[in-house]
Amino acid sequence: MSKVVDARGLSCPQPVIITMDEIKKQISGEIIILVDTDTARENVGRAADSQGWQVKNIQNKDDGYQITIIKA
Amino acid sequence: MGFLNFFKRSLLKSPDKQPIPIRGILVFENTSEVIRAENILKKNGRRIKVMGPPPEIRTGCDLVIEFPLIEELNILRVLKKADVSPIKVVPVDNPLLQPVDLFQIKDFGEYLMVRAANMKLTVDKKRLTVVNISGGGCPDVPYLAGEMVGKSLQGAPSPNEIGHTLCGYALQLACEEMKRRCLH
Repeated sequence: MSKVVDARGLSCPQPVIITMDEIKKQISGEIIILVDTDTARENVGRAADSQGWQVKNIQNKDDGYQITIIKA
Repeated sequence: MGFLNFFKRSLLKSPDKQPIPIRGILVFENTSEVIRAENILKKNGRRIKVMGPPPEIRTGCDLVIEFPLIEELNILRVLKKADVSPIKVVPVDNPLLQPVDLFQIKDFGEYLMVRAANMKLTVDKKRLTVVNISGGGCPDVPYLAGEMVGKSLQGAPSPNEIGHTLCGYALQLACEEMKRRCLH
């Protein structure tokens, strides 16, 4: 079961901060992050990458994006 | 007597009886000139600070240089010699003319954000690593973020060395303020 982080409606840097909080809780697995701006999408992907997580896919969803990150 | 009166005006008394030098602000045509003037004046040993312009001053760019008014003539001479003279010199003798601090600080618990002008830098306080860079809108911001996010505050490259825009300059100011708060 993937953990879902809902960062919609939050301004920078909060989407990154709550994603980082979840990354710190999980050593590996899958996290789904919901964001609603292009900037948040880019920042979250970059932050995840810097922590050794991989952006598995990004889907358009409800006027925003659903970002799935994974770590083996 | 005129000189003495000027000197008295230049050294107001604060509540604890310490003299406070009256400050002035230098307004420039554009940001590049502010950055150039700042470098020249700092190399010259002048006690200056880059600030945001006060609301009453609409001309010029988004940054001004604050300086001790008593040093006005020397500072203008140095700038004239370097061919980077301000378009206006304004004494800060009115609350509406107070320059605005460029920095806004927000504590998110484990994270600290420093905003300098249009750029935000966020650092993990415990690990002292850069977790986010945002703001600006300049073309080099994604590159700056890519080079700095995930790196330590001390190990990340300096934005003023790898950036080419006002955003890079503002991010450099944010970095310096962050280091002052987190490392000293």
